[in-house]
Amino acid sequence: MQPTLSLLSRSVWKGPFFVKFPGLRQAQANNVPIKTQARSCTILPAFVGLKFLVHNGKDYIPVTITEEMVGHKLGEFSPTRKKFTFRKTKNK
Amino acid sequence: MPVLLLGVSLPDKKLVRIALTYFYGIGHKTAQKLCSKFSIHDTCKISDLTESQLNAISLELNNMTIESDLRRQVRNNILHHRAIGNYKGKRHAMGYPVRGQRTSTNAKTARKLNGKWLKSFTT
Repeated sequence: MQPTLSLLSRSVWKGPFFVKFPGLRQAQANNVPIKTQARSCTILPAFVGLKFLVHNGKDYIPVTITEEMVGHKLGEFSPTRKKFTFRKTKNK
Repeated sequence: MPVLLLGVSLPDKKLVRIALTYFYGIGHKTAQKLCSKFSIHDTCKISDLTESQLNAISLELNNMTIESDLRRQVRNNILHHRAIGNYKGKRHAMGYPVRGQRTSTNAKTARKLNGKWLKSFTT
C-alpha cells in the first residue's frame, strides 16, 4: 500500500465512522431493506447480508451487502452520475 | 552482453542505479537504496559488478514484490473493486480516471491504462 493512504486515513482511536440504524435488528430478521441517506457510513461486518436503499441524490439504489464490501462506504455503491447519452429527438 | 537477473535483461553499459529501474516496481529511489545497501558506488556499471554482488542483489530482489508479483497484486486490487461493483471499479471498467479528474479533455493515462488490467494480463 502507498504510505500516503495510511497517513491520510482516519485516526485509529476514533474507529470507523458509521451511523446508527434503528431498525437494524428488524431488517435482519424480516429481510426488509433499510432506506438511508447516510452515504458516508462505513459498512460494518454486522451489515453483511442486509439490504440497503442508498440515496444518490435522486433515487434510492438497492445495495446488497456482501462480505467483501466491509470497510467501504455505502455511497460507493450508489452512483450519483448518469452516463451521458445522446437523445435522438429534442422533444422527448 | 546483457546480464540476466530474474528474467530481466540489464544492459551492460548502464549504471547500476539506472539499470535496476528496468524492473517493474523499482524506481530511482529504491534503486538508490539497493545500491547503498550493497555499497555500490554511484558510477558503477553493471559490467563492473562482481559475481557475489550480483547474487546478493538477486537474492534481495527475490524477497521484494516486483515484476509479475506486483502486477498480480495491482490487478487483484482492481479486480476487488470490480467484483464488489463500487464506483472505483466502474470507472476502471469504463477506462476513465478513478479519482475525480476531468474527462472532457486529458485523462490520457486513464484511457491508456484503466480497463486494460481487467482484460488481459501477461506474466
